[in-house]
Amino acid sequence: MMNSSTDFKHWIVDEPHQFKVNRAIYTDEAVFNLEMEHIFEKSWTYVAHESQIKSHGDYVSTRIGRQPVFVIRLGDGSIAAHLNSCSHRGATLMPHESGNAKAIRCRFHGWTFSPNGQCLVVKNEDSGAYPDESFKKHQALTSVARLETYRGFVFASLSGNVPPLKDWLKGSKDWIDCLVDQSPEGLEIVKGASTYTLYGNWKLQAENGVDGYHVSTVHRVFATTIANREGKNPLKDLKQTEAGRITGQVPSGSYDFGNGHMGIWTERSKPQVHPLWIQKERLEKEFSAEKVEWMLYRTRNLFLFPNAFLMDNPSTQIRTMQPISANVCEVTVRCIAPVGESLQARAARLRKFEDFYLTTGMATSDDLAALEAVHEGSRAANSPWNTFARGVKAIQHSGEGELNMSQEPPEVSTANWDHEVIYHGFYRAWKALIQKGQAA
Amino acid sequence: MSSIAEVLAQAQELLYLEAHHLDQKQWTEWVEMYTQDAIFWMPSWINETETTSHPETELNLLYLNGRSHLEDRVYRLQTEDSFASVPSARTVHLVSNIRLIEAHDEHTVLKATWIVHSYGLHGPLTRAGFYDYTLKRVDGALRIAYKKVTLIDDKLIGAVDIFHV
Repeated sequence: MMNSSTDFKHWIVDEPHQFKVNRAIYTDEAVFNLEMEHIFEKSWTYVAHESQIKSHGDYVSTRIGRQPVFVIRLGDGSIAAHLNSCSHRGATLMPHESGNAKAIRCRFHGWTFSPNGQCLVVKNEDSGAYPDESFKKHQALTSVARLETYRGFVFASLSGNVPPLKDWLKGSKDWIDCLVDQSPEGLEIVKGASTYTLYGNWKLQAENGVDGYHVSTVHRVFATTIANREGKNPLKDLKQTEAGRITGQVPSGSYDFGNGHMGIWTERSKPQVHPLWIQKERLEKEFSAEKVEWMLYRTRNLFLFPNAFLMDNPSTQIRTMQPISANVCEVTVRCIAPVGESLQARAARLRKFEDFYLTTGMATSDDLAALEAVHEGSRAANSPWNTFARGVKAIQHSGEGELNMSQEPPEVSTANWDHEVIYHGFYRAWKALIQKGQAA
Repeated sequence: MSSIAEVLAQAQELLYLEAHHLDQKQWTEWVEMYTQDAIFWMPSWINETETTSHPETELNLLYLNGRSHLEDRVYRLQTEDSFASVPSARTVHLVSNIRLIEAHDEHTVLKATWIVHSYGLHGPLTRAGFYDYTLKRVDGALRIAYKKVTLIDDKLIGAVDIFHV
């Protein structure tokens, strides 16, 4: 049990020559409650993309940690997020996953709120015999403490005690830019989504999205399937799928950006089959050679601590995690794509997406099974330690030897995406936020 | 020209045979039921009531355009190298409410509903949905030219492969 004076040495061993975590942190509900209270409900989390809420009243329902929230576009074009809970008796106000509501009417007792959270109507207010006349004025919805966007990505925090979003994101912003700059008009979430229920801990999903080491085993079958497809029936241009990163034939690397944000990259074995290839000329005109290299010739998996991934490998996706308990996590997969790209590029992007990224596809399905196997194996409490040792002797600091795009170098990088040292940064951020919360 | 009753009986037999091949994991026999240019489509949900309807611009759970893409799925299953597929779930397909929508000499359009009960790593699971089929006669034999699966479930549990729906 972790309590208010948590002794982390039972959970993380962080010494110069070893870094390990106790697998009980994946299965212990007390740990989960600390994570929800001190990480998810006190720090920045990703909540929506602006393309989902384009017009006045457009909203999406989500959660921050355990708390239901909706994110809504106001009449002046700004964005707000409120707890999805009526100030009167707590009923959720938005019954849908997404929709439009310029006036938000509670279906329980009919109280009505404006998108900025103000209470407009208390049903039968006149006969309510309320203690004072200003009663309604004090019935506004509870809003998130902070809401900021970075290039279309909306983040919110239930605590005001957080750094500005730009500072929080650190060097991960460069990788976000590499995705956003794929169109002069930015990105959009493509219609349609899939949610899967992981019977496993959210941290296993967090690790998995930036785990280069599993790719050559778990996704070997994806590579052989693609090789079989293309050997049997040669495909042209964008219809091909690159699999060089799976068979391990390309340079790669890993990044610990700080604050728990992590990234892995590989060189593309066939950059000309990526939907972005069509825009090569524009990119070379508009961006530095280093940035074009990152955008066009490298795949990138980015984890934004604690709940979102941005991936750009055969296709492009945003994947979000909604932890339900220590043992269950809901994961939603969406395709995010450059606004205004050609129909040919969009269709190619979607087909590659469906091949790989879904539990109905030929790779995420295998990841899901692997993570559930890890979660089950983590119950073997007599053998409790996960040792993250790969890459310890290859650690580089401050982005030395890296293809730099900006002034915000990573805390740690290595020249191999198989390395596991970026998890050290993840778990240090995890521990630091729980400790900060407990000290407050 | 066959009677409506004969067309329906043949179509029904074909749907039951497909279910049989899937439940018996007779992948090669299953894939041979499809025409070379067959489309196997499972849209995704946009919200609680609408699925995607434009495969070229919207995200699908599956959009296998051409039998060769169905063969990819069979190839992957047959490698026994897929983490999600070993051990494989046992399934039973129940296909029902078969309605003949159009009957022509060369093709037949049908609607049906389905329930697939599976037993595997997650224990017993039941998924359900709708089928839309177009069957075509190719060299005298009835084949599947189009199959759209509308899976009503979301928050999917476990991998959902071509034989779970």
